[in-house]
Amino acid sequence: MATYKEASLATRPKTLDPAEYFNLSPDYRRAEEKRAALRAQLKRQYLQQLNNPHRKELIEDPALTRWTYARTNNNYFRPTAKTSLIGGLFGVLPLFVLYVVFKTDRDKREAKIKAGTYERPYKLST
Amino acid sequence: MLKVLIPTIMLFPTIWLASPKWLWTTTTAHSLLIASISLMWLKWTSEAGWTSSNMYLATDPLSTPLLVLTCWLLPLMILASQNHISPEPISRQRSYITLLASLQTFLIMAFGATEIIMFYIMFEATLIPTLIIITRWGNQTERLNAGTYFLFYTLAGSLPLLVALLLLQQSTGTLSMLVLQYSQPLQLNSWGHMIWWAGCLIAFLVKMPLYGVHLWLPKAHVEAPVAGSMVLAAVLLKLGGYGMMRMMVMLDPLSKELAYPFIILALWGIIMTGLICLRQTDLKSLIAYSSVSHMGLVTGGIVIQTPWGFSGAIILMIAHGLVSSALFCLANTAYERTHSRTMM
Repeated sequence: MATYKEASLATRPKTLDPAEYFNLSPDYRRAEEKRAALRAQLKRQYLQQLNNPHRKELIEDPALTRWTYARTNNNYFRPTAKTSLIGGLFGVLPLFVLYVVFKTDRDKREAKIKAGTYERPYKLST
Repeated sequence: MLKVLIPTIMLFPTIWLASPKWLWTTTTAHSLLIASISLMWLKWTSEAGWTSSNMYLATDPLSTPLLVLTCWLLPLMILASQNHISPEPISRQRSYITLLASLQTFLIMAFGATEIIMFYIMFEATLIPTLIIITRWGNQTERLNAGTYFLFYTLAGSLPLLVALLLLQQSTGTLSMLVLQYSQPLQLNSWGHMIWWAGCLIAFLVKMPLYGVHLWLPKAHVEAPVAGSMVLAAVLLKLGGYGMMRMMVMLDPLSKELAYPFIILALWGIIMTGLICLRQTDLKSLIAYSSVSHMGLVTGGIVIQTPWGFSGAIILMIAHGLVSSALFCLANTAYERTHSRTMM
């Protein structure tokens, strides 16, 4: 920690800044210790299951199951003014914009072909 | 054509009469044999376009790659499903392979059909084994919902097609593709004609799927077992593309104006479903949305009606058929080992 020198164009990350390390409040340290204790508990539980010689089934993580369920099944979407605006802006407006763009571009090209002035950019043989 | 169709129908006795120890080996070997025989279609022997024909079935350079893809998929599907089906009783295993083989038969007859009505009947007939596979052998409870979405989206799209085909039969007297390609361009200038135009295409656009009506696809692909997902992604989506390519021949002067909404939906769909892919946590769901994206590009290529568009669409359909079923196979190998489809 004392001898770390950052690269010439990089910035020192916050976690390696000695000022940050020694600046922590006692509350933060206590909370961090509690979090570390929980992590150690979970790791101990996992390692016990992993090294159990009589285990035949898969190790499942209930937190992961809960998280996947929340992501896929419960829909946290609610139609509000903001979401309707975003939906309209990205889902409905581009369709009309693209229609106008395509129509004008293709009509211009069609007019040029009809007038005989369109130069083919590639030598394609069909 | 019969050289392949008869062995495919003979798969059914093979399935039901093989002894339980040899069931998977014999069916895989039999379907690999059919796949090797199907390669003979790739030899283009006639300049007129349609070869290997009898009165009702023929192949031409458009349907041949798709037919070979279908025939090659069956051994792959049987190989992929062997592990997760083996705990079940023998008669259920036989039923499962029977459903896959019946799907194969319907698909061969669909891609080889010369009458558009036969194509339509086979198009609808493929829904039934797929529905049974999804709802009976899927893994989660959402499979019922998925089966319902799949069935009703596709059915609702294809009823207008039936009406449109009957109208076409009334006005031109024939529905054989061999004849219709030489018919006079139809006079299409009223609102009724526009609705007829839309009716011809909506079934295939829902099947492709087009971005606005793609909702059935993530559900069906995710809830289906691996063989169901493979056949759905590889071949059933291409039925939509193939049907569109056949129908576009007759729909001509109207398509210049009426095609715009579909081009736009297809292209915007590529971008939107690509972005949706980035937010997925379920691996099969990601592959399903990527299928929608690829098929959006195929739709775009078909609807603009240029020769390069058609060639690109065919090449992308074959490539996507191979790649997407391989992806579902890989997702299944991961699922078999960890019983979870989360990508973390």
